[in-house]
Amino acid sequence: MIWLVPLIPLGAGTALWCASRRLHRGGLGAAAVAGLIATLVLAARVGSSQASGEFRWGAGLELTLEAGGLSLVMALLVPLIAAPIVGYAAYHEPERGLHRLIGLLTAFVGAMELLVLAGDLLTLLIGWELVGALSWALIGFEWREVAAVQAAAQAFVPTRFGDLGLFLAAGAAFGSGGSMRFDALASMTGGRRDVLAVGILLAAVAKSGQLPFSPWLFSAMAGPTPVSALLHSATMVAAGAYALARLQPALAGAAWFGPVVIAIGLGTALAGGAVALVQDHGKRMLAASTSAQYGLMFVAIGAGFPGAAGAHLVTQAFFKALLFLAFGVAMQAAGTGDIRAMRLGRALPATAALALVGSLALAAVPPLGGAWSKGAIVAAASEHGPLLGIGVALAGALSAAYATRLHLLAFGRGERQRSAQPTRPEIVAIGVLAAGTIGLSVLWLPGNAARVARISGGRVPEESLALFATGIAATVAGYLVGRALARKPIAVPALYADWLGIPAASQLLIANPTLALARVLADFDGRVVDAGVGAAARVGGGAARLLARRDTLNLDAAVMALGSGGHALARFWGRADDRIVDGAVEWVAAAAGAGGRLARRLQTGMTHQYLLGIAVGIAALIVLARVWR
Amino acid sequence: MLTAAIFVPLAGAIAVLLLRGLDARLLRIVATIIASLPLVIVIIAWLRFDTGQGGFQLVESARWIPSLGASYNVGLDGLSLPLAALTAVLFPLAIAYPTDDMGRLREYLGWFLFLESMSLGLFLALDLLLFYVFLDLSLVGMYFLIGQWGHGDARRSALKFFLYTLAGTLLVLLGIFGLYLKMTPRTFDMAEIIRAQPLAGNAFAGGLVFLAFIIGFGIKIPIVPFHTWLPPAHVDAPGPASTILAGVLLKMGTYAYIRIVLAMLPEAFQRYAVWVGVLAVVSIVYGALVSLGQTNLKRRIAYTSVNHMGYVVLGVAAAAAIGKGSLEARQLALTGATVEMVAHGLITGALFLLSGSVWNRGEEYDLEAYGGLTSRAPAMAGMTILFAFASLGLPGLAGFVAEFQVFVGTFDVFPWLAGIGLLGILITAALFLQTLQKLFFGELPQRWRAWPDLGPVEVAALVPLAALVVIIGVAPAWLLDVVNSASRSILAAAASAARSAVG
Repeated sequence: MIWLVPLIPLGAGTALWCASRRLHRGGLGAAAVAGLIATLVLAARVGSSQASGEFRWGAGLELTLEAGGLSLVMALLVPLIAAPIVGYAAYHEPERGLHRLIGLLTAFVGAMELLVLAGDLLTLLIGWELVGALSWALIGFEWREVAAVQAAAQAFVPTRFGDLGLFLAAGAAFGSGGSMRFDALASMTGGRRDVLAVGILLAAVAKSGQLPFSPWLFSAMAGPTPVSALLHSATMVAAGAYALARLQPALAGAAWFGPVVIAIGLGTALAGGAVALVQDHGKRMLAASTSAQYGLMFVAIGAGFPGAAGAHLVTQAFFKALLFLAFGVAMQAAGTGDIRAMRLGRALPATAALALVGSLALAAVPPLGGAWSKGAIVAAASEHGPLLGIGVALAGALSAAYATRLHLLAFGRGERQRSAQPTRPEIVAIGVLAAGTIGLSVLWLPGNAARVARISGGRVPEESLALFATGIAATVAGYLVGRALARKPIAVPALYADWLGIPAASQLLIANPTLALARVLADFDGRVVDAGVGAAARVGGGAARLLARRDTLNLDAAVMALGSGGHALARFWGRADDRIVDGAVEWVAAAAGAGGRLARRLQTGMTHQYLLGIAVGIAALIVLARVWR
Repeated sequence: MLTAAIFVPLAGAIAVLLLRGLDARLLRIVATIIASLPLVIVIIAWLRFDTGQGGFQLVESARWIPSLGASYNVGLDGLSLPLAALTAVLFPLAIAYPTDDMGRLREYLGWFLFLESMSLGLFLALDLLLFYVFLDLSLVGMYFLIGQWGHGDARRSALKFFLYTLAGTLLVLLGIFGLYLKMTPRTFDMAEIIRAQPLAGNAFAGGLVFLAFIIGFGIKIPIVPFHTWLPPAHVDAPGPASTILAGVLLKMGTYAYIRIVLAMLPEAFQRYAVWVGVLAVVSIVYGALVSLGQTNLKRRIAYTSVNHMGYVVLGVAAAAAIGKGSLEARQLALTGATVEMVAHGLITGALFLLSGSVWNRGEEYDLEAYGGLTSRAPAMAGMTILFAFASLGLPGLAGFVAEFQVFVGTFDVFPWLAGIGLLGILITAALFLQTLQKLFFGELPQRWRAWPDLGPVEVAALVPLAALVVIIGVAPAWLLDVVNSASRSILAAAASAARSAVG
């Protein structure tokens, strides 16, 4: 039954894409949401029965699914977040290609469910790459625009580079005992464990948009808004942090693992925050924010608290999906994504109010769940070292700053203007996510920290009053900075705003040289390698002409050279019967001569004799056999 | 039974040549039906195949040239069965696929049927001389298909293909004689030679024969740097002939690497396995990069064949490195290599059929000339996207099953080679995405306003390939178990041969 959890959305998505041209928006949305709710219910049932499933591929290759702990949380979270997003998409997006969009979004959920329920590296890799390929199709949804398709490739290729890490990890795991199951990974040691950890880390860093892979999230903004909402909340980007948190117990044994993960995470959290702060396009700001928030999760995982990371993953999923959908409404109303031209608070009062919930959660204002999970990460970092705690608090302040700036500019009080209003289903979808965001305030209730720890199978760091105060101070400081920047932006170099120049650098240092190398090699292949063959034929021909003193076609000569090589070979096999060896070599030489003459005929166009030649060859063989007897 | 599979198409070829008065459509249908008959036999063979048994099954023999020790011996194991099945699947589809027959349809169909016989014979032959005859005759068939029905500089390309691979087969012939002459009593019987290991303990002769086979079959595969005959042959060949060239003929080389080199010269292969592995990785990375550098659609696909056949050779090399890595890993690599042959045959075969459709409509392979075709031809776009993703190794499709096993298996044997080879997967991803973009996305150029979508016959030929690619990708156990039965027994025999040689 557990297999149905990924299969229902995969099947429903395919069916919707293929069969729904006649369905109107409402029917399309309803069908997709129904499929996702069925997935959710099924995942819950699977979770309560602790089910697992196996599917045999071949000797030593079994796909396994299992639900429990973090994987079950994810299996529930994915359809829960996806359902409002898909419902929103059915009403928000233009009619053309809508069935394709809804189908792909639904199928995407199935691939993600496969990923989160995977119980071994092979199944993980399958889900992992399917998610990547579907994200390509979603980002490049507007295929009539070359830019969108190119952006899709720019998102797919870097993340696929990360996928190679999972291949390495699977190779290392298979080599140490033949099993790729997660529960067998903990027993790995030494160099193989290092390869495993490097591989999974590489894959996770690429998928979760950590440095230096963060810019692919900007490229991903070429997709429709619901696609961004889904990719940045519970799917795709979430896969990296999820896999790392899930496998942290097996990987933490490598001494370098924790510090490296912390360094990557903190670096991305700070850089992402700094980049988000100066974006003028709201989607790009949210995209940079995603990298930064996942950076915080990486810090928690590196510090040894996957539970804190898991909690933040869940809260982030709700408020980030909420913010994307709300901003999608704003974009439609304003006709642009530039937040400096919005201030839609009066024009879109309901949307603005709901978006405020998301902004507050992003800024970590208690009692919202986002504040609790960010506090847990600050506590985790402080337990590791006070300096790290300060770094994380600083990253938290940056989140508050860009959340403030985004909200004030996009949804601040401006002139009351007539603009495109969201439909009721869109508001309902945003409302569901806002309700979830508010509902996660329960994390503050006593006893729930222990519950988080139990689900994630690890410890949740102690919150103290001092840490709480630090968090509040960071949020307030961030608010003040954000408000100031909303009033009077600072000018920054374009390179800085475009992810610190990383895309330009990777274009300059990786993409362009690779393409140039490919062109050079293509040229080299055509001219040099092939010419080498021609030259070899000519040299062979010359040598053979000397040998044979016969002016014939190159190939004839080359084949003769082979024949004489055969003679040399034959001399080495002195023990073999001389007569037969000689006979055989003679035959080769004769055949070679025949081949050469034949080749000349082929060259002159008289090609039909070849069959005759073969027949003669076979006849010669038979005659030879008679002679030997 | 297998004999019927081999010779029915040959009889059909003669019949097609003699049949006059049938109209073109009917003739093609008749040829397609004849070409599918071996598939029926292969399916029956598959159902009767016993995966628990290691050796050759369904063996049929007859006297042929007893004085030479050559006999007509055919049969199959878990290595040849999938390849014979691949052959039997691809031929009817290639024959049915619409192309310009240049007014000589009967000859066109006749050569295809002839080639089907030779290809099936090669994979099912259990006698080296018989194998060689089929190998040589298959060249002839392909030579005519390219030279007569190709476009561009077809004659020159066909000749280059013919001469180059003929040189390769001559090396192979020398190698076969090397094995043959060391057998007492002299025989070409494969099973006998595998049992006797005539060159065991003879490092020099073994090395020479090994070299002859590696280069001879290496030209056929082809591995870099012996590959330059392939791109012109593909570019100028009609689409369906390219399908057979890539799908069936290239497999003859890698099949022989396993059937002949690994099984008959395990000791030499073990010694030089790492160097073959290096050649394979060069083929993988170089093939992918050169492919990326092409602007011609068909040259691109042709070079991805170099890249994919590199995966096969890498898996075989890892399997041959007895003593390195675990037996399970080497077995995984060998199974992966065999599955890659099947997967590549289906996937690249389909891609070449599709490029044939592109040619039939546009007479243009330059990618820059295209764009936005999706709006005119959604079915063509969908099919191409599916097979392109299969080729770049997307899970759920056949290529991934093969490549995953090759890399994971090889990693335990040659970790560095596997690691570098992985870059091939990345480059193919980039190049296929770029190809799709240039063909199908963006703006539709004015000159293709009337571009027709795939016709019913084209769809009917591509759908079975797509179905197989998906089935193998999702639930490959039925295939892996068959292949594994051969991998297991080949490696067990090779290991004991190499051990006894050392001891």
